[in-house]
Amino acid sequence: MSSPSEEPQEAGQVAVLDRPEVEHPWVTIVWNDPVNLMSYVSWVFQTHFGYPRSKAEKLMMQVHEEGRAVVSTGTREKMEADTEAMHGYGLWATFQKDD
Amino acid sequence: MATPFRVRGGRLTATWDTAEVAVVMHLLRLTRDFVAPERESTGDPFADLVAGLGGTADPEEPSDPALRRLLPPAHRTDPEQAADFRRLTEHTLRSRKAANLSTAIAALGESLPTEGDHEPDEPAQLALDTDQARALAMALTDIRLILGERLEMRTEEDSERLHEEFDKELAGEGEMDPAAVQQMAYYDFLTWIQESLTLAMLE
Repeated sequence: MSSPSEEPQEAGQVAVLDRPEVEHPWVTIVWNDPVNLMSYVSWVFQTHFGYPRSKAEKLMMQVHEEGRAVVSTGTREKMEADTEAMHGYGLWATFQKDD
Repeated sequence: MATPFRVRGGRLTATWDTAEVAVVMHLLRLTRDFVAPERESTGDPFADLVAGLGGTADPEEPSDPALRRLLPPAHRTDPEQAADFRRLTEHTLRSRKAANLSTAIAALGESLPTEGDHEPDEPAQLALDTDQARALAMALTDIRLILGERLEMRTEEDSERLHEEFDKELAGEGEMDPAAVQQMAYYDFLTWIQESLTLAMLE
């Protein structure tokens, strides 16, 4: 996972702490598990996020091979809603501040 | 024997033995009993919302690992945020899962031949609309997650090992616990159904 390349070259503490929310988004992460089917995970990403098949499959493969993938980015409220939705589908998701 | 799902006239169709429908409906009902909220809904969405916000919902992680897998912590490193999230969402999530399982149960019930008006061996004809198909796919996930946890299938390696042991069992040379053999048989059947249903939904 990577964050946008907007970090100041001289990463002063104040600059980092003062960064407004919009530049420091939250993320929803989906974690790999041995039960959920690859086809199903891809279907969930297409259905819930409306991602095209290619993007959904790429994210699914990332979860499968790397153990996790960032599946959405945005405000904290939106990431909490996405996390709850993923739990509804039986995927294990968490939300956190992007870092 | 169940046939794979096909898309026909906007519906997802398959033919199952009535015994197969009965087994899946039974597992769906058990799963609904397991996941449904401990505090019953009042029937008034606003009252339920207020009750949930009132902090009466239990923010503790479920002690049963299978329930914990269905309602996992939403934050990996911050237990306080995970508890807050659980307090605000767990009741509605459990209600939604129970309602979804009910939709799947009703959909399978519709597929059964009408009482008294059919041949003894007449199979069930499934013809799911989009909402029913979606509900069944999600419901199958919930059952498989519970079975997976009961079988201690927590990593890809666990899954491979259990399937190797199960294959040996089918070849008549296994040493698996008979309860685990039964769970693996259900698990594999549900996996097959879910894969077929999901591929049909993706068409």
